[in-house]
Amino acid sequence: MFRLLVEKELKNIIQSPKFLATFLTCSFLILLSIGIGINEYFNMMEQYNTAKNLAKTEMAQARSWMALSAKAFREPDPMQIFSAGVNYDIGRYSIVHERQDSKLQNSVYSDDPIFAVFRYMDFTFIVTVVFSLFAILFTYNTVNGERENGTMRLVFSNAIPRSTFISAKFVGSWLGLVIPLLVPILVGLLLLVVFKVPLSAAHWIKIIMLISTSVLYLTFFIAFGILISAVTKYSSVSFMILLVSWITLVFIIPRIGVMTASQFISVPTVAELESQKDSFSKARWEKHYGEIEKVWRARNAEMNGMSEADRQSYREENEYKWFEEDDKVRNEVQKEITEYSSKLSDDVRNRKATLENLALNISRISPASSFQLAAMNLSTSDINLKNRYEKEIQNFRQTFSTFTQKKQKESGGQAGMFRISIDSQSGVKISSGRDESSLNLREVPKFTQPSHTISQAVVPTIIDIGLMMFFTLFSFGGAFFSFNKYDLR
Amino acid sequence: MNTILNEKKEFPMLEAVNLTKKYEDGLLALDDVNFKVHQGEIYAMLGGNGAGKTTTINIFLNLIEPTSGETKINGIVTHQQPLEAKKHVSFVSENVMLYPEFTALQNLDFFTRLGGKTNLTKDDYRQVLLRVGLQEDAHSKKLKGFSKGMRQKCGIAIAILKNSPTILLDEPTSGLDPKAGLEFMTLLDELRDEGKSILMSTHDIFRAKEIANTIGIMNNGKLVMQRSKAELENADLEKLYVEYMAGYMEEVA
Repeated sequence: MFRLLVEKELKNIIQSPKFLATFLTCSFLILLSIGIGINEYFNMMEQYNTAKNLAKTEMAQARSWMALSAKAFREPDPMQIFSAGVNYDIGRYSIVHERQDSKLQNSVYSDDPIFAVFRYMDFTFIVTVVFSLFAILFTYNTVNGERENGTMRLVFSNAIPRSTFISAKFVGSWLGLVIPLLVPILVGLLLLVVFKVPLSAAHWIKIIMLISTSVLYLTFFIAFGILISAVTKYSSVSFMILLVSWITLVFIIPRIGVMTASQFISVPTVAELESQKDSFSKARWEKHYGEIEKVWRARNAEMNGMSEADRQSYREENEYKWFEEDDKVRNEVQKEITEYSSKLSDDVRNRKATLENLALNISRISPASSFQLAAMNLSTSDINLKNRYEKEIQNFRQTFSTFTQKKQKESGGQAGMFRISIDSQSGVKISSGRDESSLNLREVPKFTQPSHTISQAVVPTIIDIGLMMFFTLFSFGGAFFSFNKYDLR
Repeated sequence: MNTILNEKKEFPMLEAVNLTKKYEDGLLALDDVNFKVHQGEIYAMLGGNGAGKTTTINIFLNLIEPTSGETKINGIVTHQQPLEAKKHVSFVSENVMLYPEFTALQNLDFFTRLGGKTNLTKDDYRQVLLRVGLQEDAHSKKLKGFSKGMRQKCGIAIAILKNSPTILLDEPTSGLDPKAGLEFMTLLDELRDEGKSILMSTHDIFRAKEIANTIGIMNNGKLVMQRSKAELENADLEKLYVEYMAGYMEEVA
């Protein structure tokens, strides 16, 4: 009986004209997104290799070890074909120099703002927006449509348990939507092989997980569509509810997360932070100068009544001690300022982290957010991508600085200064102190891409996958219980 | 297909016992309704809109539960053992709505298998469709292009294929043209001859008088009159109907 109902549901979906339109649209979009993704990945790889070679040439121009700077490049990851995430938002390289802070710069969107306006249409976008929309278009009248059409009475004039009927509706709709959508996805995967996208075993595991997560996300919308259809009498009502819910879940909630969180947690801007640091520093130094002035007055007062010679001798006797005392106090003040500054930075960092967590948790009310976060984690294009790179670049900067300092010392240490000599015979002559033969670039440490293991990619997705499962079970459970009380007339 | 039930059942195949339905809003849809339909009989329920005819059928199908009393199909109390009871009944609604994207054959295949008949072939379906008067060229066409009469024929074909001992018909001839209506009545006559027990709600007084073994008139949830064909032989049913519907007369408790 169950199988018969599932078969009927499948046939009903597959024979409907909207199925053909949906299937063709989805197939086209999926293949287009994967095709564009592959092309974009190879373009970025080419840019990455060219930029790396140019950086090598630039390094070769360096006049001394101290003047040597390197560039750390972010290597494109083939997983970006499926989910661009923050890939195009963050910089592609960072200059690594002993005396400069390392920051990722020149993002794709900063170079081509037009893409920032319309964003890339990747696989994750298609699943998030298009698949979910199709899921509700197919399920909005699953239950109430049968009542409206009059087929419900005829079906239930037979010995059919309600639980069998609603379960078959769910399984039939699921098979009718998921299996046909898996076809273009599999063709898309074939494209990866045909175009020889370098994918490791870890990549394939992540891709399989991403596809499974996409199916789970689609399953939620199928269950949700059936739920709304089972709690409403008319398909026009369920369609309106689902449309509004879809807009809310897919577009509104993911965006209001950050806005809502910022209402609860305020994070000072960089300018505010610097201003706070400056005012504290200024106030503290002013206080210190006031105290020092008092100290010096007291010291002078000790010399009251002394002759000029005694004063001189007293001063010479105590001067070193006084300077030491002043220096100690000055260092303490400096330490206090540094500590305060560091405390402020830590506080801002903590507030930022709390804000981020709160924003993400609020947005997780929507399975669309959970899916996007899971997809980004699995595609290594998540919100922490920038931090991972900047941390790795900081480590590299450390290694690089130590290396160049050591090399500079070994080579006689002229810090890359120019020598200007003026001679009546040859006039002004500018020369560098570089010993050409001493710069062996082969010894220069190389930047290694931050490692991101499968478990590091998968563990953060557990909460999102768990939430999607919960929402799916909740929706199906709701549909199941609602249908048990559904007016079948 | 034309299985004639050999064993005559002693007990009624369809029975309403003190059937009462009061909705949550206070509306009394059925008020202590009692009737029996024996094997090989057609019982016609006459009555205006809102008289309680469809509610009675819905209770037989367990689509709603009675407030008190019960309905029985083949001796099985429908609201106590609905799945068991439904194995013995077929249903044809006023406006048969099947799956529009399925062909007539696909619809027949689905609903007969749903009714528990899994060993029927396409030829069986075709034979029955021809028997109910649906032309062969329509058998493989999608239902969405069918007229009401054609859909009605498919509905009765499903009921025939299910081959259950009882059939419930909810205003089956409403909206059919006279020829289709006549064909339908002939078919019902044949089904009765095969031993089926048929409960039919209708507005059509003349066809009811022509075909039914017993006629009941319902008004405001009450079965106000119930007479056999023999009792109505010389009566003016139309006049009786108007009088009962106007509330001038009431003879059934």
